[in-house]
Amino acid sequence: MLTAGVSEYGLPASVLAPYLFVSAAMFVIGLIGFLTRKNLIIMFLCTELMFQAAGLALIAFGRHHLGEDGQTFVIFVLCVAAAEAAMALALVVLLFRRRETLSAEAWKELNG
Amino acid sequence: MENLISPIILYTFCVLGSAGFALALPRRGSKLVPLGMILLGSAFGMVAVSFIWRADRFADEHINGGGGPGLFFYVFAAIALGASIRVITHPRPVYSALYFIMTIIASCGMYVLLGAEFVAFALVIIYAGAILITYLFVIMLATQAPTGGQEGMLDETDAVAREPVVGSVLGFVLMGLISVMMLGGIDSVRPGASDFEPDAVLANLPGKVDKVLAREDLIAENERVLRAEDGGGVLDASARTITIENTELGTTRVIGSDNWPDELVAGNLDRLGWNLLHDHPMTIEIAGVILLMAMLGATVLARKHVELEEALKAEQAKRLGETTLKQQQPSGGAA
Repeated sequence: MLTAGVSEYGLPASVLAPYLFVSAAMFVIGLIGFLTRKNLIIMFLCTELMFQAAGLALIAFGRHHLGEDGQTFVIFVLCVAAAEAAMALALVVLLFRRRETLSAEAWKELNG
Repeated sequence: MENLISPIILYTFCVLGSAGFALALPRRGSKLVPLGMILLGSAFGMVAVSFIWRADRFADEHINGGGGPGLFFYVFAAIALGASIRVITHPRPVYSALYFIMTIIASCGMYVLLGAEFVAFALVIIYAGAILITYLFVIMLATQAPTGGQEGMLDETDAVAREPVVGSVLGFVLMGLISVMMLGGIDSVRPGASDFEPDAVLANLPGKVDKVLAREDLIAENERVLRAEDGGGVLDASARTITIENTELGTTRVIGSDNWPDELVAGNLDRLGWNLLHDHPMTIEIAGVILLMAMLGATVLARKHVELEEALKAEQAKRLGETTLKQQQPSGGAA
């Protein structure tokens, strides 16, 4: 029972489904956080949560199809997440120095 | 979908989940956060029990094998989801970041269960070790001047969520849609090819095969795996035979399946490395350009001097003065 996830055969649908469900739930938690929290840093943390959920779905599907393409793509997503974190946090520090608050509502005039 | 989870349980999960988030998101003076947590826990627990219960029935009726994902999956999933709920409901950003590290580590556990060891450990090193430390630095750099109030040092930005009810209802409408789409189509997803041979990639890695064979004393000093035209070795992974050439005499012989060493297997790293470098070489180039641009961009952004307006400067000075005064007179409460 414990090793059902690791074998030489593709994942059966009944094993794939719980992984996809967890991935969907994690994505939605990230989305709710992005919509409801005001702190800019927490909002970026929530996008990382959504990246993580997408990565879990990619790896589960990759395991289902017995290929490594999913893992390759997760490595790429990891690079993008690292680049995004560096840029976004530099921007957050810049915005913070200008308004002395991390609230997204302090930048309402950017809504176009 | 019906043989994995019943629609009624799924919709109950969505209703309970959105109610739970609506209560658990931070609000000034809210006493209902534990109730929200209980609702969320019962929602996820209900789905987990449903999956466990269905997996046993699934095992004998489905052509594709069956069974559940195992005990460890449920433990890691519970940690990952619980920690990610705390990421968005905890009012203090530092705790959110620490709970996010917990989410990462738990999902790395799930990656290991899925046989993706390299990605799992790379994720621990890069995410938990590097990216989250950057987040913690910025959280501590950009600390807001405390405004006081009943809840200690918490600022309005962190203590109050924006439209928690609308946000959670929207999120769980999306959750219902995603689950119905994914679980509804899961029976028609084609599984991997039945003739999949995990060691087939060894034919492309003659250097590794040479090393293992030399360590096992199966080849002499002047022998090596016969190289094919494209640089790969002549090796049949399904028949378990390796063709060896003598580099001095030019003769060849075959190592049969009886002598195939146990150590000679293609692990996750071999297959992932081959996939990354041979099948998707452009990925690395693009990732390099993205990282270079991010480095340049972060440098340019960080060295920019911010010109504050005079009024704002005065306000900041006033606020800073208030804070230092408040800290000097110990008034209890805020520790």
